Amino acid sequence: MLKLVKVEAGSPLPVRRPSRLLRLLARPEVGPLILLVLELSAFGTIRPLYLSPFNISNVLDFTVELGLIALPTTLLMIAGEFDLSVGSVFGFSAVLMWTLFNSGATSLGLAFVITLAVAGGIGLINGWFVTQVKVSSFLVTLGTLLVVRGAALYLTQGFPQRTWSAAGSRLAAVLAGEIHIGRFHIYMSLFWFIAAAIVLHYVLAETKTGNWIQAAGGNPSSALARGVNVGRTKMVLFVLTAMMAAASGIISSIRTSAANPNSGTGYELEVIAMVVIGGTALTGGRGTIIGTVLGIFILRSMHSGLVMIGVPGLAYEIFVGAIILAMVALQAWLDRRQQAEG
Amino acid sequence: MAEELVRMEHISKFYGRVQALRDITVGVRYQEIVGLLGDNGAGKSTLIKILSGVVQATSGEIFLHGRKADIRTTTDAIACGIETIYQDSALVPQLSITRNLFLGREPIKGFRLFNRMDHALMDQAARALLLQVGVIKDIPPATAISALSGGERQAVAIARALYFDSELIILDEPTNNLGVAETRSVLNFVRNARDTGHSCILIAHNIHHVFQVVDRIVVLRHGTVVADDVDPRKTSIEEVERIITGPDAAEPAESSRGTNRGLE
Repeated sequence: MLKLVKVEAGSPLPVRRPSRLLRLLARPEVGPLILLVLELSAFGTIRPLYLSPFNISNVLDFTVELGLIALPTTLLMIAGEFDLSVGSVFGFSAVLMWTLFNSGATSLGLAFVITLAVAGGIGLINGWFVTQVKVSSFLVTLGTLLVVRGAALYLTQGFPQRTWSAAGSRLAAVLAGEIHIGRFHIYMSLFWFIAAAIVLHYVLAETKTGNWIQAAGGNPSSALARGVNVGRTKMVLFVLTAMMAAASGIISSIRTSAANPNSGTGYELEVIAMVVIGGTALTGGRGTIIGTVLGIFILRSMHSGLVMIGVPGLAYEIFVGAIILAMVALQAWLDRRQQAEG
Repeated sequence: MAEELVRMEHISKFYGRVQALRDITVGVRYQEIVGLLGDNGAGKSTLIKILSGVVQATSGEIFLHGRKADIRTTTDAIACGIETIYQDSALVPQLSITRNLFLGREPIKGFRLFNRMDHALMDQAARALLLQVGVIKDIPPATAISALSGGERQAVAIARALYFDSELIILDEPTNNLGVAETRSVLNFVRNARDTGHSCILIAHNIHHVFQVVDRIVVLRHGTVVADDVDPRKTSIEEVERIITGPDAAEPAESSRGTNRGLE
């Protein structure tokens, strides 16, 4: 008891608290950070052009678009759920918005709002099936993956939609306008990505909502017994994830001037890989936004790096798989060590 | 009526066509520890779940301080001052002690819309609380629950109930999987809670633990109350075991080996 009174008065740390350095190293983001630094320096050494403004700009273009999906997916996975429908929503939203606009039915702005609302509706359907019908989110979103992809194909009869009529539109400029800073060319989407990362990090780490998200994934029955509205928390995250996947699809369609009903296929798995490599537990309850940001850059800069050092692009997935295996093994090892210490 | 903190009257519960509780009437007085005993399937858990808002009774009423209380959800129960500590599921293992203590009732600082938790207040209260509970002296409140022992976890759960000044604390098997010393300190927390003005309901398979701490024993069998005023100071453990198993039990001598022979 006496020892503790002294601690409160500001004297040395109590016995069980590890040193500051050790605590820093034990943070879940440290592994991914080391991996990213190693990767960048390795590619940069082999191919100096890898770190050129031109290549960095190129990597960023698409990275932040996937990142906009991976960020909310992190919260969803911490809350203990999956969303496999994000790739379909990505493709569907772009074609829906451009179909509405090109048909002359609505202005571009209204088409954008309608599309986001529809995406929110898809999120609600996912959330409703998971929280009310109590079906595993893996199965529910596998279903919506197919339904939404099918809707995109049927809506367009399989043809890509025109997008170039957006030139000069203010909405397009705000979402995905191109900016030149020195020798870098970046898109507005980078700022949206940064803003989203900051906001979601704040929500997860600082707010009551963040505490509820972690509790919902960590131990739902105990969270429920504490008065945490687990169902509504998950519902909100499904809606957020779907809407951000839609925004990402729209941004991508403006940047590439293409709205293809097939685009986004397979993104759901790449996004989950990013989140998991960033240290989020596949079983929920634990994870960070900073980790996911690192995971996003680890995968996308590896893609670019492999191409630049001459590895065939088709071999990319071999490396993604290997890195996932390495990272989950590392996490498991860290977990065991932590348990042993506790 | 007013001498009782909680009174449940004519409570019945059906799960589909199976009747789990039949017309149960039972009360808990102020500053009293009630031991709730019964064999597996006797209805203890169902009764507790009704009181803590996890499930709703098919019929019957609950009174608090003599006034009718409407408990439909866990949030209602907590608002009424009823805190339930379930074995193993009371805490979120991945979260810190502090975050667990305040889960569901996080204090907010500053502009409400920003929903920002008051970390300073939470940490300070957690530190004071851990000191007060005593069993976990040198653990920083930022420690994750997964790093704590079973007894330390129970201590955190009980500390939480005390902090939020719950009038009734329900403990479901709090001594399960605990060592001797830890069991003793958990039972001490329960006594401590009563002495500081709280009432408790204690469910435990180990009758010896119940006998050490309760003021009164209520026994359920097949969904009904078969005894509701057993004084542990005037009754032997064997007698209580006979009440639990009932007259249809094969051999009284055999039942003295303990009641936890069921497969749970």
